[in-house]
Amino acid sequence: MTKVTVLLPLLSCHQRSARLSPDGVSAASAGKFVKSQALPRILLAIATLASLSIGRAEENAVPAGDYVSRAEYDKLKSEHEAMKQEVEALKATVKQLTASIAQSPAPPKPAGEGKQVVGVPSEAATEELRQEVETLKTQVKETLPGTMKFLLAGFGSAGFTARSGEDPFFDAAFNPIFLWRPTDRLFFQAELELGFDNGETTVELPIAEAAYLLNDYMTIDVGRFLNPTNFFIERLHPDWINKMPDKPLAVFDGLLPESELGAQLRGVIPIGPTKLEYVAFVANAPDLITESDDFSEIGMLDFDNTSNFGGHVAVGGHVGFIPIPQLEIGYGIQRSKVGPRDRAVENILQSVDLNIVTDSALLKGLITARAQWVWSHVEHFVFDPDGEQGFGPLTFNNNRNGGYAQLSYRPIHIDNDIIKKFEPVVRYDRLNQLHTPVGFDEQRWSFGLDYWLTPSAVLKIAYELDDKNGGARDQDAFLIQAALGF
Amino acid sequence: MNKFIQMGSRWIGLPGAIIISCVAVSWLIGCAGNKQSGEVAVGTREKGGAQLWAENCQRCHTMRSPSEYSGAKWEVVMQHMRVIGNLTPEEHKQILEFLKSGT
Repeated sequence: MTKVTVLLPLLSCHQRSARLSPDGVSAASAGKFVKSQALPRILLAIATLASLSIGRAEENAVPAGDYVSRAEYDKLKSEHEAMKQEVEALKATVKQLTASIAQSPAPPKPAGEGKQVVGVPSEAATEELRQEVETLKTQVKETLPGTMKFLLAGFGSAGFTARSGEDPFFDAAFNPIFLWRPTDRLFFQAELELGFDNGETTVELPIAEAAYLLNDYMTIDVGRFLNPTNFFIERLHPDWINKMPDKPLAVFDGLLPESELGAQLRGVIPIGPTKLEYVAFVANAPDLITESDDFSEIGMLDFDNTSNFGGHVAVGGHVGFIPIPQLEIGYGIQRSKVGPRDRAVENILQSVDLNIVTDSALLKGLITARAQWVWSHVEHFVFDPDGEQGFGPLTFNNNRNGGYAQLSYRPIHIDNDIIKKFEPVVRYDRLNQLHTPVGFDEQRWSFGLDYWLTPSAVLKIAYELDDKNGGARDQDAFLIQAALGF
Repeated sequence: MNKFIQMGSRWIGLPGAIIISCVAVSWLIGCAGNKQSGEVAVGTREKGGAQLWAENCQRCHTMRSPSEYSGAKWEVVMQHMRVIGNLTPEEHKQILEFLKSGT
């Protein structure tokens, strides 16, 4: 419709050119001009400038059959010239656009178009390629420091203690553990224990040992290792594992050493569905404290005898039996001479331990029951025999014992994301040493509540009811601790 | 209590004998059995890595997610646990495979 509308005025224009007025301008020459030069361009321009031409054609339309005057002719001519210029401008624009389109990147081809057809690789070739990739991946991993054979693990904690009769205080500790596995059979580990004690920062080295797998069931360790006869120390002492903010009497900082300096041979014997664990070790013997500014320490054992004063060697071991996966029972013993070489006496340390962890469908949770009891026996010894220290000669029954029993419950199968993270704990611990220079027995009932943020991050709160005999003051305590294993 | 201590003194040889026997038996199993390292015993294989992971790890501490470490790091951790946790080679292999599959 638009094209028809456009052509009509142009035809009118052509007819008018053939009937020029008699002012000296030849109608034939005028028509020739229009036909040879202007018309083709006008037609081209019309095709692209339809809307523009429509308006102008309609304005300039004259009635058919009338002659045009000179003025009309001039007007038409000037309009024709204007249109020529517009067409030239349009042609230049079209040319520019065409050039820019040619220079732009080609649009993406449809999938499969222009693709080379190759043969399907054989299964063997694919497997070979896969193995090469795996090998390369392993090699790349091995070049990354700290990702293949070395690992920094450990734990940290921060806490608050308010104990009756003492100033309340905040506390913090950091125990990085360095694990290094140079080969499949050789292994090295070390633990640093950083903490505070009486206003000073303390650094201990409870573990610094190299282990070698003699065979699949036997390992030999040399160096400083956690006391294998002390189940709590070896397995449960890290703050993120121990369920109470503090550690039980007797088994920690009490009657058994935390670490031994020597060598141990350990392993496991699978017996059908059960398992028997064993450890045998030789180490520096503890030292018998015969002199001290604090009289209560007389007769105690110094387990940090790294220089092995007295020159004695301790021999010991531990046997654990796991009849069912939920139960572990164990017995440990350590025997050595203690005291000055010329007056050495025998020391025997014994421990029994029980560990039950069972997932109860009936109670919808995990029940953990742990207990350990230890005995320390030091043979008859005369302290301050010549009375130089002002309290001798002194002899006493140097037998001590103590331990703990603990029960906890975590409702992991209850359908509540908050409640299942709580774990109430109750613990009873005791240390008997009334007949020693310490002069009292102590027992505690502790009630705690843990909240597990993650499997290795826990917030602990507890209250301890302390009971001492022998005239010593009871010291109830309120404790808070946050612990994180990493 | 004194009686127990005296008994312990008297029978100090018994625990020692038990431990020495364990060492000997363990040595025999490890050497005479001629078992390839990591070969899986029948009973252990029936349980699977996930169950062994739950049984052995949970006895001391809460179970940490397999995604907590990379496979290479689990190898180091499990070597540590194999020694201190007295894991059999079968348990070690199964648990390690389970942990690495979850990384």
